[in-house]
Amino acid sequence: MTVLLLALHGANLTVVPLLLVGVIRKLKARMQNRLGAPLLQPFYDTAKLLRKGETISHTAGWIFLWAPRLGLAVAVIAALLVPWSGAPILGAGGHASDFILILYLLALGKFAALLAAMDTGSAFGGLGASREAALSVLVEPTLAIGLGALALGAHSTDLAVIYASPAIPLVALLAGLALIVAALTELSRMPVDDPTTHLELTMVHEALILENSGRNLALTELAVALRTCIFLGLAVQTLLHAWPRYPGLPLAARCGIGWAGLFGAGAMVAVAEGLLVKLNWRRVPNFIAFGIALSLLAALVAAARG
Amino acid sequence: MSEPGVSGAVAGCYAVAFLLWLIAVAFGVIARRGALRLQALLVGAGSGLLIAAALGGNGTVALPLPWFLGDAPFTFVVDPLSRWFLIITGLVGLAATVFSPGYLLHLRRRVALGLYWSALALLMASMALVVLAANALVFLVAWELMALASFALVAADHEQHAVRQAALVYLGATRAGTAFLMGGFLWAHQLTGSWQFSSWWLSGPAALGPALLIFIGLATKAGCWPFHLWLPIAHPAAPAPVSAVMSGVMIKTAIYAMVRLLVLGHLAAPPIGPLILALGAVSAFWGVLFALLQHDLKRLLAYHSVENIGLIMMGLGLSMVAGHLHLPLLAQIALAAGLFHTLNHALFKSLLFLGAGAVDARTHERDIERLGGLIHRMPWTGACFITGSAAICALPPLNGFASEWLLYQGLLGLAMGGPAGGTRLAGLLLVGWLALVGALALACFVKAVGIVFLGRPRSRPAEQAREATPGMIGAQLFLALACAALGLAAPAVLRFLSQIPGAAGSGAPPLAQVWTLPLPMLLLALAATAAALAGWIAVLSRSRPARRYITWECGFGDLGPRTQYTAASFAQPIGRMFGAVYRYSLDVRVGGRDRRHFPESVAVASTYEPYLETRVYGPLLRWFQRVAGTLVMRLQAGSIHQYLLYMGLALALLLWLGYRA
Repeated sequence: MTVLLLALHGANLTVVPLLLVGVIRKLKARMQNRLGAPLLQPFYDTAKLLRKGETISHTAGWIFLWAPRLGLAVAVIAALLVPWSGAPILGAGGHASDFILILYLLALGKFAALLAAMDTGSAFGGLGASREAALSVLVEPTLAIGLGALALGAHSTDLAVIYASPAIPLVALLAGLALIVAALTELSRMPVDDPTTHLELTMVHEALILENSGRNLALTELAVALRTCIFLGLAVQTLLHAWPRYPGLPLAARCGIGWAGLFGAGAMVAVAEGLLVKLNWRRVPNFIAFGIALSLLAALVAAARG
Repeated sequence: MSEPGVSGAVAGCYAVAFLLWLIAVAFGVIARRGALRLQALLVGAGSGLLIAAALGGNGTVALPLPWFLGDAPFTFVVDPLSRWFLIITGLVGLAATVFSPGYLLHLRRRVALGLYWSALALLMASMALVVLAANALVFLVAWELMALASFALVAADHEQHAVRQAALVYLGATRAGTAFLMGGFLWAHQLTGSWQFSSWWLSGPAALGPALLIFIGLATKAGCWPFHLWLPIAHPAAPAPVSAVMSGVMIKTAIYAMVRLLVLGHLAAPPIGPLILALGAVSAFWGVLFALLQHDLKRLLAYHSVENIGLIMMGLGLSMVAGHLHLPLLAQIALAAGLFHTLNHALFKSLLFLGAGAVDARTHERDIERLGGLIHRMPWTGACFITGSAAICALPPLNGFASEWLLYQGLLGLAMGGPAGGTRLAGLLLVGWLALVGALALACFVKAVGIVFLGRPRSRPAEQAREATPGMIGAQLFLALACAALGLAAPAVLRFLSQIPGAAGSGAPPLAQVWTLPLPMLLLALAATAAALAGWIAVLSRSRPARRYITWECGFGDLGPRTQYTAASFAQPIGRMFGAVYRYSLDVRVGGRDRRHFPESVAVASTYEPYLETRVYGPLLRWFQRVAGTLVMRLQAGSIHQYLLYMGLALALLLWLGYRA
């Protein structure tokens, strides 16, 4: 059992994140009538970046050097602590998967990433940091209220407990949709940010990592892939939570459905990127307002029923 | 009082600490110059002794003085609550003392240093006395001494017009606050017939009047919205170590009195709890929102004090609300969150103020738009400032996270255990509110660190800055390490805090069990993972070392440091988002003949209107000045006959009063 669990988590850490990125890219390419890069291209890219040399700005100091390492470490720890794939987390019952802790742990990674972007003294870095910080002002309340509404039903702030106990389906549905909006924003996906853009007027995340190259960039990209899994997986698990029988299923079924849901969510991201245009930067708050409204509704239902 | 007196050694510690401070005060008055080192040593030793004494036992002390203060004796009480605040006072006092000599070097021609140390010693002593006072009269005397000493310190650099202005505003605010406080104390005395805090038993509607007056008086000192106006004016004007003491400790004495009288005391007026919670929530948001727009580093930090006072007050208010709802564990958690955050804020805010002071001393520049790149020239100060920023943003595993986590637990506890749907919803909404405030604080400190310490220097002073003196670095390192240690030592802190009886009295489960987070394990895992990644990268980079090159400038060639992002542009997206709160606007003026394609001059300025100042306090102050002007003119007409009449009337009134008694 433990061996199986370890294998699951190993796959979750190594294979699933980059595969998800590959699936999203492939599907998007197919929607645009392109052949697209192979599914495993993100793996090749990472290996290539790790082998290449890197260029560092004269202005940059130790923050720029250490932020990607800290960011990836945070993402790895968070990926181990958050039950995003349906597999029970390692060391459940240790209260390490408290959702406030997870949110602030991820904020630690973001703090490091934003400072690293400012460290090079590039106007792009400042722009990306400013916009990313502004977006997280709207995302954090969405996440906190949505997950708080779920916690209300479980009487615990531990994500491991929350996802193992029954929930009010409506609350889980509303919170799950709110989490999807939050995830799209947090992960700099359409319609908030275009991950393929290189036009400074529209950039958010790409501006943030413009100065990163080689190994530094590889670590950053790996962290982004892990965070994609964490946020999309969390949203999918929340939506699945609306199905009362889901927590009671056997491990294999739970994991299978969880992964299917995750890749389904990835497909949704790809479809959204194929169909939607990027919102004007000034309209982005209106989009996140949907997420905030959904979490407020979840809170309302949870408070009324709790 | 049936409590025993404190043990001889502990009482001796207190006595010696106060004696040392007294000597330090005297030296400044007698020997204007020449005794600075001795004074610093005395102030520091006093702070150290205070910590040692506070770690000792509980008890009461009655000074065997032959005279009373009114009809109240000079009595002091040492209990876990006052000891908690004494520890805070001592820690911050120690850091400020170590920091001061190096910092004052650049002010030595403008500030009377002997008097500075005297006022600092007096401030330390009066803050300790406020916390120890067992009755209202001793409290008020110490409170006034504290106000005067801090006024003198704010006005230390009084050759500058802005400093004089700030000192006056501060004096006015403390006067108004004390007036409310005095009114509340007199009212409570009238109702209970006693000056002793411990015998103020009031409940129901009768308690509301005095409780409200006392609350307003304390909120003014604490800098809670809407009484916070003086805080962002006075704190930047004071020398940095004084800002650290004022922001770290002095405004916390008001928090102490709130806990003593309103939360744990017996002025049980149910509407006060929700009021404190609501004002705390508004303060937290308001403070951070205005902090984001500030370009003066110390003013930015001062607005963050408003924010953090709000967070502390949310804890206190929640504790009172939970007490009324009969949720004893929740009341304890919320109170512990408030008190823990009081200590944490004292540490990281004084750390940040000291960092701002070091930058100020080395660059003579507080406008962050003219700084930049200081981390290369001031590496220690930079690292400490970043640690403090991470702590104030509540990032794990630092201390700010521990107390904010407790506050989250309290609010979620209200959401889970509240008896009515409305209460539960309020709990959840406040959780979202706290997350919003947290994200805003993160944005603000990325801005502060990024603009001041990272990137390239934006002015010559920033380019030529040197690292601070060893004393200044030592003080900052001490506070930074304390921030890191307290996050990991949260269970020990909670054990200390559980000695303080909760708002709902005894019978609650132990507080220490609430803390379930394995923060040390988490830190270990993070450090191990990051180190493993670093090792891997080191192996990889052996074959292909990193190349140093310029920052990407789109191929234009070096455009100079002015092309970097500025603080104003960093804050713009968030400012626009919440523009309705302060009518934010960014004016861009482009000039030149063909300004569409070849602009010759571009000017950008952000403006905002603080409604509270312009729409409420401004008109109020003008009205007051007008009324006072005409009224005082009429009373003081300069006619000797009129003055004789006043004297006669006063004499008659006094005689009548004496006859009646």
